[in-house]
Amino acid sequence: MENDEKKYQDVINKLKGLKEVKAPANFEADLKRRINSEKFEGERKGFWKNILVPAKLIPSLGLAAAAVVIFFVMETNSEEIDNPFLIEPRVRKDVTEVRDYEALKQEHQKELAKSKSLEKEKNAPALVLKQNEIKTSRDENVSGGKKDDVVDKLMNEQDLAKDKGKIEGGISIPESTFAAITDSIHPTVPSEASSSLVAGQSITKDELNFRQVQLSPKEQKVVNELKKTQVQSLERSNRTQK
Amino acid sequence: MSKNLRELSDEELILEFQKNNVEAAFEILVQRYKNPLTNFVFRFLGDYAACSDVVQETMIKVYRYKDTYSSVAKFSTWVYTIAGNLARTEYRRQRRRNFFSISDYGEEHKPYDLPDESYRPDVIIDSGIKDEIIQKALLKVKEAYREAVILRDIQGMSYEEISEILGVNEGTVKSRINRGRAQLQILLKNIYDESC
Repeated sequence: MENDEKKYQDVINKLKGLKEVKAPANFEADLKRRINSEKFEGERKGFWKNILVPAKLIPSLGLAAAAVVIFFVMETNSEEIDNPFLIEPRVRKDVTEVRDYEALKQEHQKELAKSKSLEKEKNAPALVLKQNEIKTSRDENVSGGKKDDVVDKLMNEQDLAKDKGKIEGGISIPESTFAAITDSIHPTVPSEASSSLVAGQSITKDELNFRQVQLSPKEQKVVNELKKTQVQSLERSNRTQK
Repeated sequence: MSKNLRELSDEELILEFQKNNVEAAFEILVQRYKNPLTNFVFRFLGDYAACSDVVQETMIKVYRYKDTYSSVAKFSTWVYTIAGNLARTEYRRQRRRNFFSISDYGEEHKPYDLPDESYRPDVIIDSGIKDEIIQKALLKVKEAYREAVILRDIQGMSYEEISEILGVNEGTVKSRINRGRAQLQILLKNIYDESC
């Protein structure tokens, strides 16, 4: 320790020999002025402190206010901007629920068939009445001398087929098959009927929208004769084929 | 009253100022410490105007924060600690300012060295100028060593007081002082030769 001081004795002496620097003459006056000015500032701050919140709380209060504002702004503009690549597509139940269209079609047909059968059962007495009316109207038409050749032919064919079915094994051909034939002949049949045929539904003759011709007894006789001749010709042709 | 106050020690005066708010006690403390503090701060900064401001700021802090003074410590160490902290802050601010202002002068942004005319032999005439040379050499010593050397060799404080002021142990204080002295010796070698 002492060795160090001896070692640097010259330096120490030089430093100790430096003139002492004194404070300026007006040091104390300046100091008083600065202290008084700070006192005045302190008093002024005290006045403002009574009015405003403490200065230390201002930054934290500012941050809190900003957070509240941001929260409300975000809340009002809450339409979420989703990435379209991440959104799952909206499921349309009316489309996706039906998968087995064939089953649906069959169910629909069954329902229609049921509803029709129920209607038929309900309208059975009405149909009897209608048939009577048709008969009377046939009489009237015969007396009028009106006749539709096409319808006659069809009626003959229907009767022939019925007879044939009875002959060949008692299999009765349903009226709907004739209705289908008549549909193909008559292009004036409405599209609803044709579409229902395509769907495989059975359509009765009454449901078809075509003109029904009523035959008089005389005309009926003529038709029957024609039927007989046709049946005979068919039988002959069958025999020849065999 | 003022005569009695003048007889009081530094610690008694600050206690008087703390408890009874006797401003006269504070004034006496200012009178006692204004020159030692000015000397200490000037030797550390090398700028008289800045030094005066730092000492005034120190006194204002003593005035404002008188209640933080603890009677356990010596008043001198407390006031020197405040002055040392403020002086260090001012010194760093000056250094930053000088760095940015001088570094832009040189070509291609090279650091520009100011020519130091005072080291020329024809300029060294009297002791006043020698003091200036020593001061400049002191300013070239590392900040931590310089403060310790000033407090020890210029202010004449004990190692214990210096360790309290700087907030380091005595061993560190001693090593800092020795390193500071060694640096100064190298810097002042030419002047010694010439003076001898």
